[in-house]
Amino acid sequence: MTSQQLSPFELEIAKLIVEALKLKADPSSIEPEAVLFGDGLGLDSIDALELSLAIAQTYGYQLKSSDPEIKATFSSLRALARAIELHRTK
Amino acid sequence: MLDAPLIGSYRPDDVLAWESDGPRSAREFLSAVITLADGLPDRPSVLNLLTSRYEFLVGFAAAMLRRQVTLLPQSRAPETLRRIAVDQESCYCLTDRGEPVHDIPAVVLPARRGSVRPWNIPRIPLHQHVAIAFTSGSTGQPTPNLKTWDALVSVARATAKRLGVNAAGVKGVVATVPHQHMFGLEASVMLPVQQGLTMHAGRPLFPEDIRAALTESPERSLLVTTPLHLRACLLAGVRLPPIGMILSATSTLTSALAREAEQRFHAPVHEIFGFAEAGSVASRRTVTDGDWRMLDGVALARNGSHASIQAPYLPCPVPIPDRIAVTGRATFRVLGRAEDQVNIAGHRASLGDLTRQLLEVEGVHDGVFILPDGKEGSLSRLMALVVAPGKTQEDIQHALRRRLNPVFLPRPLLLLPRLPRNETGKLPREALRQLMERWKDESSHDV
Repeated sequence: MTSQQLSPFELEIAKLIVEALKLKADPSSIEPEAVLFGDGLGLDSIDALELSLAIAQTYGYQLKSSDPEIKATFSSLRALARAIELHRTK
Repeated sequence: MLDAPLIGSYRPDDVLAWESDGPRSAREFLSAVITLADGLPDRPSVLNLLTSRYEFLVGFAAAMLRRQVTLLPQSRAPETLRRIAVDQESCYCLTDRGEPVHDIPAVVLPARRGSVRPWNIPRIPLHQHVAIAFTSGSTGQPTPNLKTWDALVSVARATAKRLGVNAAGVKGVVATVPHQHMFGLEASVMLPVQQGLTMHAGRPLFPEDIRAALTESPERSLLVTTPLHLRACLLAGVRLPPIGMILSATSTLTSALAREAEQRFHAPVHEIFGFAEAGSVASRRTVTDGDWRMLDGVALARNGSHASIQAPYLPCPVPIPDRIAVTGRATFRVLGRAEDQVNIAGHRASLGDLTRQLLEVEGVHDGVFILPDGKEGSLSRLMALVVAPGKTQEDIQHALRRRLNPVFLPRPLLLLPRLPRNETGKLPREALRQLMERWKDESSHDV
């Protein structure tokens, strides 16, 4: 899937990111495949912690650094949405 | 006493650290230190960038045996590392990532396991300069703060005594704070190793990571952390194994959060007050104490409206970067931050210095960093107003990323045709406030 269009669930996660991190961005403008951390949206480890909290509270998915997939999970909006869909408990 | 042992009273087979692949005994540690020390380049100072807290400690100890000073950068931003490297000519770096650092020769760890089987704990002279903690100076150049072995050992012992680490039967330490940060070095490396405890080598971030690290550590360990991590653990609803005590620092913990943490984790929550220039200087148990109590051996000195810290291991009094009120012989209350000083997630900087770095970015004609009024308990981010015709926000953020610790990157960064400077060229606070109000209305965002 290489579409630049956000799926409804991706848009939901984009809204969660913008809200949790108080970003000044339009959720629908986040590119689904663009990197979230580093030079993309410019997020850092404090954001990762905030974001993990919002994900745990909303979807019941507790992120783990020891998870071999963690780097991939945080690589883009699309990857994050896919991981949440897979692991959500609520 | 003219020297102090490298580590506390461990027996050879006691577990000194818990690495990602299992335990490291005190004997294995000494062996690794001596082996590495033999192979280190003959240079006066070393930039220790090692990720594992244990590997960092091995590198730090080996450098001390070679009488080398360990450099603790305030961030890994390439420009910060470059400036330190230029300033500390002939340093080398210890790294585990193979990342190139501005032409500095690198030694890559983990080193070979040591083959020697020593059991003599080396002693380090108290007056030896062992570390330099860099702070962001007012000149744009990182300011070096020289630390003696005496300073590190004294703070570790005074903190352990104040917390009652031994009396509480604490056997291990887990920390979420970076070991290259002054508080992290003192509380998560020096404290456990001087007290003969098991130091967890990881740096857990997510609540689930913290749970896992505590599970690997001796029961009822000390958790060295920050208000942000504590809040995340409480709100994410993880079940942590029994904790002996919690030590928080880097930003102020509210008494509500401290109370909730004490109730949920059945452990006392203490806070440390300190700053890189002096190290940890005072503590309090947040739920019962409004005031900070000086650590043993540390004294307050007043000089007009300014307060300074004195201690036998500090060569001269060190000014406190916050405004304080002295409330007793060894107690004080923090009134607020000194003008121009900001503390974002435990990293201090002067707005003036950040602004200067912004103005050095190519294409920036004018600009200023400001700290919006934040809500209690939530993390405030800095904001920057920038005049840079022809440049985009991304251009400027990209340039700043090379220069600044990421916690200081402005969020948001607003591009404006001009700043509301008055006739004397100053930026009146009221004009900035109005500008921000207008921006808030337009973007309907909460700053």
